[in-house]
Amino acid sequence: MGSAEEEVTRVIHKFYDALEDLLRARGTAAMDEIWHHSDYATTSHPFGSWARGWTEVKVNWEEGAAVFGVYKGHEHRSDRIGGINDLKVVVLGDAAYGTGIYRSKLYMSDGELNLNLNCTNIVHRIDGVWKIVHHHADQAQLDWQAAIGRMVEAGHS
Amino acid sequence: MLGGAHTTNVGSEAGGFRILGSTDGNLRIAAWGYWPAEVVSAFGANAPAAAQALVAVGIFVFDCKDLKPQGAEGQEAIRVLFRQLARSPFAKGIIVRGNAMTCMQLARLLRECSAEKRIEFADAEAFGS
Repeated sequence: MGSAEEEVTRVIHKFYDALEDLLRARGTAAMDEIWHHSDYATTSHPFGSWARGWTEVKVNWEEGAAVFGVYKGHEHRSDRIGGINDLKVVVLGDAAYGTGIYRSKLYMSDGELNLNLNCTNIVHRIDGVWKIVHHHADQAQLDWQAAIGRMVEAGHS
Repeated sequence: MLGGAHTTNVGSEAGGFRILGSTDGNLRIAAWGYWPAEVVSAFGANAPAAAQALVAVGIFVFDCKDLKPQGAEGQEAIRVLFRQLARSPFAKGIIVRGNAMTCMQLARLLRECSAEKRIEFADAEAFGS
């Protein structure tokens, strides 16, 4: 096992791997696994408002999976949809946080849809296991949100 | 909009709904927060039944500006309402939108229940809610 900073960095990258799974319709199992299922878990996404407590957090990720269940633009694509960039981690005892920039590219029927968002993830070590307890992404620009909304209403990308 | 009205209130500040029916065939349902099991159960029992009172010239308003995305049971309760609405007579159906992810969930549920052509989304500001 590496240093705490290396462990936290690995957990945050696993979170974005789990997000990639979700966006590619591979389910939410990896996302469920990377979180501590606590009543103080919180998350906020590029669209929507706060989910507080694991029950609401889990529902938000499941709905995110449902939203992107109709997205087909990645079917013939080998590169990642998105990932975290410029990640900086700070460890403070059994808590740690990482700040970075999430960049993603979606291929929609009417062109590319790009996203660049500041993100913060808080990781907590319980019984020696680091997992996510908080995720915050900035709200996406309104035209991005509108494009995703049109995709959901149409039932296809 | 509403003539002689009767109201049903269920839940708490954290999650609940209010049904405001009228004797002139209109219906307004306001929903908020995340629903615990007892609220889901009450919604499933009350909301579709209230929708049966809609009339051909009636207006249905589902005020969801403070509603969070719901879990599987809450989604199913909303589906039962939407399926009822898909076969009910009414002139206009409106969902007052708030949380963008809730809107996406409701849009998906409308589509699954073949009710998407009968109910449109409106901003709270535009609707004066």
